[in-house]
Amino acid sequence: MHLTQELELFPEHRVTLLLFKEVKNAAELRKSAMEGKINGALINPTMLVDPFQVLVAANKAVHLQKIEKMKTRNLYSEIIFNLSPTNNISEAFKRFGISDGDDSVMVVVVHNKDESQLLTDIVAKVDGQQVSVEDISSMSDSAKIKKLYKVTPQEEKCGTLLDAVVCRMATKDVL
Amino acid sequence: MAQEKGTAVPVLLSKAELLKQGAEARVYRAEFLGKPAIVKERFPKRYRHPVLDEKLTHRRTVQEVRSILRCRKAGISAPVVYFVDYTSHCIFLEEIVGSSTVRDHIASTQQSCKDQELERLAQQMGQILARMHDEDVIHGDLTTSNMLLRRGTEDEESDLVLIDFGLSYISALPEDKGVDLYVLEKAFLSTHPNTEALFQKLLKSYTASSKKSSAVIKKLDEVRLRGRKRSMVG
Repeated sequence: MHLTQELELFPEHRVTLLLFKEVKNAAELRKSAMEGKINGALINPTMLVDPFQVLVAANKAVHLQKIEKMKTRNLYSEIIFNLSPTNNISEAFKRFGISDGDDSVMVVVVHNKDESQLLTDIVAKVDGQQVSVEDISSMSDSAKIKKLYKVTPQEEKCGTLLDAVVCRMATKDVL
Repeated sequence: MAQEKGTAVPVLLSKAELLKQGAEARVYRAEFLGKPAIVKERFPKRYRHPVLDEKLTHRRTVQEVRSILRCRKAGISAPVVYFVDYTSHCIFLEEIVGSSTVRDHIASTQQSCKDQELERLAQQMGQILARMHDEDVIHGDLTTSNMLLRRGTEDEESDLVLIDFGLSYISALPEDKGVDLYVLEKAFLSTHPNTEALFQKLLKSYTASSKKSSAVIKKLDEVRLRGRKRSMVG
């Protein structure tokens, strides 16, 4: 169901992604995330093309945390910020964070080797149905993604939408 | 030094497979988030003043990723940038799996005398360089080793991927584009003997595809007479 990936650059860290649909308590989740009661980043799945996109954001967040160059307050807000093609923080939360009316959510957890307790806690908090992370492709709104990341048809000739999105995320701080 | 700042990249590279070492950078093969990746590390040059070195290295790293993005946006294939570490000056790029350099391809095709295939390739190269220059990207180090052929799926012809934008920059000057082509001409003719006609094909296709080619070709003729550097006499 969930997907766990080791960060090659930070072998003591792993990233786990969990995807939920038919979520009924998005407002409550958002509130507790903002209060820091949820150990994870809550992301709006319609803006995601592929799990790899989230992994890239998480890796960059951990890296920036280690070198003390994060732009936002904590690791989880940084993950959401890193997904955005712009350097506007509130815009990033609006587009990539969850909103009160959302019925699906992707939860990103950064942890060390033993994660089972953390994951159980998350699953307990979300009032929804957990589905395979691979189902993300059926939830993504590619028209909206293309518009936000400004991906042209021309660019899609030399690579996938995921390629275009990842490239922008990785290079946004020097544009 | 890098370790003090806490970047984890040097530890990863110490275990990665070194592919190539040049004067400017080392290139490694490594895995990134489960995908095959290439890491380009610009190491510190001890012969330069540390402050200058840091500045140059940083600028080149930035220019490299910018040019890659600009090319991709224009539909020119270049490796996807996965991650950039500006403290250790490392760029994590997509590995173009199952590709060979144009250099190797020309060498082996020349032996088997498939002239038509080579002409098609030269034409393709001309088109792509024309598109790149129309976007005002100057590659800075055009050689047949810095172009990869990615074997396409059965029906498509193989895709030409530009790599190594380490010396690239943005410029609209015909002079810079002319020099870019001149560098390629020199490299092309010296690595591949008896290919003058083939290179002409490339230039012809460049001229036909680029909207601003006439000024560039004029400059190229000028550059041929005087060499890459502009004369500062007078």
